[in-house]
Amino acid sequence: MARSRTVLAGAGLTAAALLLAACGAGGDAGSDAAGGAVRLTYVSYGGSGQDAQIKAFQEPYAAAHPDVTFVNSSPADIAQVKAQVTSGVVQWDVVSVAPAAATQHCGTLFEKLSFPDLKADDFVAKAIGECYVGNFGNASPFAYNADKYPDPAKAPQTIEDFFDTAKFPGKRGVITNLQNGILEYPLLADGVAPDKLYPLDVDRALKKWDTVRKDTIFAPNVGALQQAASSGQVDMFLLSDSRLIALLNEKKNIKIVWDTTVVSVNALAVPLGTKNKETAQDFLQSLVQPEPVAKITEMLGTVPVNLKAKPNLTDNGKLVEAYGPVNTGETVVQDVDWYAQNWDAVTTKLTNWLVG
Amino acid sequence: MSSNKIKWSSWPLLVPALALLAGILLVPLADTFIRSVSAPGTYTNLLTDGVTMTVLWRTVVTAATVTVAALLIGYPYAYLMTRVSPRARGILLVIVLIPFWTSVMARNFAWIIILQDGGPVQSLFAFFGAEDVVLYGSTAGVTIAMTQVMLPFMVLPLFSTLGGIDRRLLLAARGLGSSPTAAFWKVFWPLSRGGVMAGVILVFTLSLGFYVTPALLGSPQESLVAQLLAQRTTLLLDFAAAGALGMVVLVVTLVLVAWANRMGGTVSAIGVVAASPPKDR
Repeated sequence: MARSRTVLAGAGLTAAALLLAACGAGGDAGSDAAGGAVRLTYVSYGGSGQDAQIKAFQEPYAAAHPDVTFVNSSPADIAQVKAQVTSGVVQWDVVSVAPAAATQHCGTLFEKLSFPDLKADDFVAKAIGECYVGNFGNASPFAYNADKYPDPAKAPQTIEDFFDTAKFPGKRGVITNLQNGILEYPLLADGVAPDKLYPLDVDRALKKWDTVRKDTIFAPNVGALQQAASSGQVDMFLLSDSRLIALLNEKKNIKIVWDTTVVSVNALAVPLGTKNKETAQDFLQSLVQPEPVAKITEMLGTVPVNLKAKPNLTDNGKLVEAYGPVNTGETVVQDVDWYAQNWDAVTTKLTNWLVG
Repeated sequence: MSSNKIKWSSWPLLVPALALLAGILLVPLADTFIRSVSAPGTYTNLLTDGVTMTVLWRTVVTAATVTVAALLIGYPYAYLMTRVSPRARGILLVIVLIPFWTSVMARNFAWIIILQDGGPVQSLFAFFGAEDVVLYGSTAGVTIAMTQVMLPFMVLPLFSTLGGIDRRLLLAARGLGSSPTAAFWKVFWPLSRGGVMAGVILVFTLSLGFYVTPALLGSPQESLVAQLLAQRTTLLLDFAAAGALGMVVLVVTLVLVAWANRMGGTVSAIGVVAASPPKDR
């Protein structure tokens, strides 16, 4: 009896020790401070978007720097970054994040970066920040199902038409995150000039949504809205270019309306306290050069952040090219600084409006 | 179930489980609690922001609806399982367990296809003249899918309890002049209450914290409490407020479990293996 008790207690202790050891081991992946091999942990949203980033960003960099390897993980989650930074065990080196969030938590959750070689004139507005670089932009022009509105003369022409259910009956679709213009488009439709959008009048925007609320599907994420558009559940929708091109490639009969278009920048940032900051920063600088930017644009149908990039687009790629000849309207780039300062208040206001 | 006094020498058997529980549950829970009270106003905000209470109430109503629906479907099913041949019982058991073994994601995506606009359910309603029945993105759709997902948690404890009831008691009731209906309600039903409470508690508490189904099948406008929690953690990074909300859900759950224990649902009935009949009262 006594012996079996000892064995059991020993087993328990061993299990606990193993657990602790497993928790502790993750932190010491290769670090650039020590010289030699560096392993960068790259965290994005998975799927084809991350595959494209591996091909366009990571593979060329790893080829040029044989001592650097990449580990990919998903999904990127800023709450995880906070947990890692707070606990002092930072395991992620490069993380996909909204530029507003990177700015809001600049120096507290994310490393301040410096890119002396990058010239602001070469980039889309707000593409390079104090704590992030933009890896690509997303335009979310409004598009409609051409089966529902077949006659181009009678089809929606402006963003006002999106909010006019009397003139254009049909279901609307919008994504509830802040990056696809849920607050900008209603204000534009309400008559706010594109260059006078910021600071956003959130109450006015939500009031405008109230007028079409019962005809609108508020999708929790971009995939859900793409699915709804693909299956004909929504007739007009505010969907990002990379998803519009997917619908076009599926031969869905959709038409894009180039009135004023909202563009948001997607960003990569470096969690505070990573051992690989120098390498991560060098890598970020490499991926905003014209070549990788052109490549990611070709693969995803997104907005190139580097204005010198010369992507070789497909026919469908040209149809969603916000900075190309197809866009006959104006373009508004989301104001990262305004969002960074008002993120919590706006998020809360939008959520309360949605669930209320 | 033996009522022998537990020997103290067997306590070390619990050491690994307790160590694990302390490491992965108690310490983080205490941490969450401390964080939730260290920031000012987290609990009062829950009451006054006008949204948390709406969502919490909607969650409780949804969980209660799911529980009642699962009971209404699960009880006759579990009853049938006790009345058929062992072979048929095996088949019925497998039918319950297949969804149990299937990934939750696969089941939820299947429900998206079934419930979406133009999907089979809508076509069925349209066939009977009810056009424009939209279940995808609504609380009704979430309730239906959650009932299916939760059904095994109702059927299994019910089956273990109902199977342990001595059917000669029913014969005795009939022999003493009772009608079959009266025999069921006066003899069988009270004896099955332990299993009912166990199933109800399992389904209700799991439904309260359910995230995947409402996130995929519901809409942001019909958020349940887990979605609100996710929003507070991942968008606002407000771990204190999220912790406070989690604590409220935990307390609601514990109160219910305590209530159920008093109402006669024994904790042991939650274990499917505990097939012993509840004591006559």
